Amino acid sequence: MVTWPDNGPGGRLTLVVAFLPARVVVAVRGELDSLTAPELGAVLNGLADRGHRSVVLDLAQCDFVDPAGLRVIAESIAHLALSGRTLELRSPSGVVRRLLDLVGSAGLALLDGPEADRAAGLDLQRSVDVGRLAAAATRLGPVTAVAGAPLPGSIDGEAVDASLRLVVALARALVGGADGASVSLRRHDRLATVAASDETVLAMDADQYATGQGPCVDASTLGRRFHTDSLNDETRWPAFAPKAQALGINAIVSSPLVVRDQPVGALNIYSRTADAFTSQDQDLASLFAAEASTVLSGVELSVGSASRSVWFAEALEGRQVIALAQGVLMERDSIDETEAYRALRRFSTQTSRPLRERAEDILASLHRRAAAPPASSEDIHE
Amino acid sequence: MSEETLDLLDRARVNAGLSPDELWMRYFELGGMSTALQVDAFLHGALVPTIHDHDLLAHALNERFVELGGNHPVPYLEDRHVA
Repeated sequence: MVTWPDNGPGGRLTLVVAFLPARVVVAVRGELDSLTAPELGAVLNGLADRGHRSVVLDLAQCDFVDPAGLRVIAESIAHLALSGRTLELRSPSGVVRRLLDLVGSAGLALLDGPEADRAAGLDLQRSVDVGRLAAAATRLGPVTAVAGAPLPGSIDGEAVDASLRLVVALARALVGGADGASVSLRRHDRLATVAASDETVLAMDADQYATGQGPCVDASTLGRRFHTDSLNDETRWPAFAPKAQALGINAIVSSPLVVRDQPVGALNIYSRTADAFTSQDQDLASLFAAEASTVLSGVELSVGSASRSVWFAEALEGRQVIALAQGVLMERDSIDETEAYRALRRFSTQTSRPLRERAEDILASLHRRAAAPPASSEDIHE
Repeated sequence: MSEETLDLLDRARVNAGLSPDELWMRYFELGGMSTALQVDAFLHGALVPTIHDHDLLAHALNERFVELGGNHPVPYLEDRHVA
């Protein structure tokens, strides 16, 4: 699931794109006019160019369409028709339907309601809301991608980018003591920062690349974790340490990213406070690095980059929702991780509903309870 | 883990109409930590998955069978160990 613009609702147009097994659903929220229509056009063209068989345009929450919007829709229909594909319009409002009638929408398939997608196990509205909840639960902050930083040769840059940014955001939010995080990857024997949480970590990485010293350089080269408690007492990197201190950095932990047994980069986390990272924090950092490594290892599949990138965002969201629900059950029932997973799975099997939906329910009920205490704990019990 | 157990996973994958990559994608969404190559190796018996990994793959397949209107034909090893 991908939402444009990614700063959430509030703009005049929001597009939510969901990739289903047989088709892609683009949900339009807000107004489609001369200012916003080009954005929809770009998205529809992108989908058409990437060979998606069937595209559904969901207009249920589209308040207004002007001639520019209609033109974009008509052009997209024509574009897809050239290669024997279709654009289906779903749930246009009365006004929009009349406008379409006026401009002649012969050949358009009009659908009513999202039942078909529900059957495929996806509810647009709910997926989005849970995404927001999960994001809030992990205190995700804004993370900037570093434009122009090249990714390793055969790895699909666009697909990796979103996933690594998510890993960086999670690492910064969840590793105790972290003030910032970044991911460095090596290409043609040179390291580059491909995702960073702030400018300080960017500067720190650059200092390491320039001096050829530091925990990131060593972790990416030697394939094991490097940690410094306090740069004041650090003797391993004499050229780099004073530069990092000048940036206000005191402690750093760099965990290697490993693809097919080869170190390819590092997840770097820094703190302004000395001794900020406990051994548990360092282990957590390694877990995130393993997550990023899994992402990097899995990218080299023969799927188009756009759908790949969307899929990764969706898959990471699913993993996060499941992990959070697992944590809730562990705390609530004093059980371990495996038992919590088994409880989720058992419920999924008994009700024939996807495991992720069960996890979403648990988080949603937690959210409701937080909003209206003191409710009974019944609603999150099996 | 017996060879039959792993054979069953791969047969179920074929019956579910999933490519090894598609199965891996579903497994990954459920929280699986093995790479696509490793999952392929599990299916072909070149690597032996942990019980947890096996059950994640089983569940990914079972969710697919439910989508297709079926039930949960692939057994879980964890349940067997607990029982």
